[in-house]
Amino acid sequence: MEQRTPTLRNVAWLWFGIAIAVLVVGFRQAIFLTPTDAAQGDVGRTFYYHVPIAMLSLLFPYLNFAASLAYLFWRKRDPLKALTADAFALASAEVAVVYASITLITGSDWGRAAWGIWWAWDARLTSMLLLWLLYVSYLMLRQFSSTGQSQTLAAVLSIFAAADVPIVYMSIRWWRTQHPAPVFGGGPNAGMDKSMLPAFFWNLAGWAIWGIFILLFRFALERRRQIAEQEAALQAIEASLETTK
Amino acid sequence: MTWNSFFDISTMAHRHLLFAYAAVLVIQGGYCGWIAWNWFRTKDPRH
Repeated sequence: MEQRTPTLRNVAWLWFGIAIAVLVVGFRQAIFLTPTDAAQGDVGRTFYYHVPIAMLSLLFPYLNFAASLAYLFWRKRDPLKALTADAFALASAEVAVVYASITLITGSDWGRAAWGIWWAWDARLTSMLLLWLLYVSYLMLRQFSSTGQSQTLAAVLSIFAAADVPIVYMSIRWWRTQHPAPVFGGGPNAGMDKSMLPAFFWNLAGWAIWGIFILLFRFALERRRQIAEQEAALQAIEASLETTK
Repeated sequence: MTWNSFFDISTMAHRHLLFAYAAVLVIQGGYCGWIAWNWFRTKDPRH
């Protein structure tokens, strides 16, 4: 263990450095090197942060879903593994809320400049808001439930919440919306100009690497908290046994 | 675009672009900072 911790810390710092470096390149590409969009002007550069983060915001709920299923599977069979799965579920739900919040804020900000309105109750925006609300309620349930079953209840809620992800993804394919049509896989007129690709992919890579970093950092924090809680409980039991001697 | 035009807030389009980028960096940085703050406040029982 003494060997493992410094190695993990070095890997974490290296990963953090790579994330920052890729994000700096992505920022430079998006702001300084990519030509201004002919139709939208400079506000169109919001695209290079909004779209990659929106795409990633639909991946973290699936990690939460998988970890919640693992928790439900192990909670009676192997409680220690279940605790680890629960820590990962919590971390992925928080990162999903962070990415979904940014998606909603940057989308609304862009909408005001491009459409003249902050919000439209169309299928994409509404289903994304619903996704955000579901994961906020997941976190609030964990925080404020006093039943002693909050982890199990949260895991069940996460299964229902994950069902919204394909609806968000398909909403701009199933319905005509105020939101722009899909950039990828949206038919013959979809896609983006070649000059936009480097900015888009550098930012997609940068925010993905960053997302993995904060996910694992949050997971490590939750594991540290769980182990500290277990140690405190063990010490309390030992102390009570000594007083009864 | 240049640094000057990035920080130029004289038009609505530029204000909204600056706000979008600043919001992303503040939210992500704030969340990472919150994790780091709690990391140092939570004692590692293995040490």
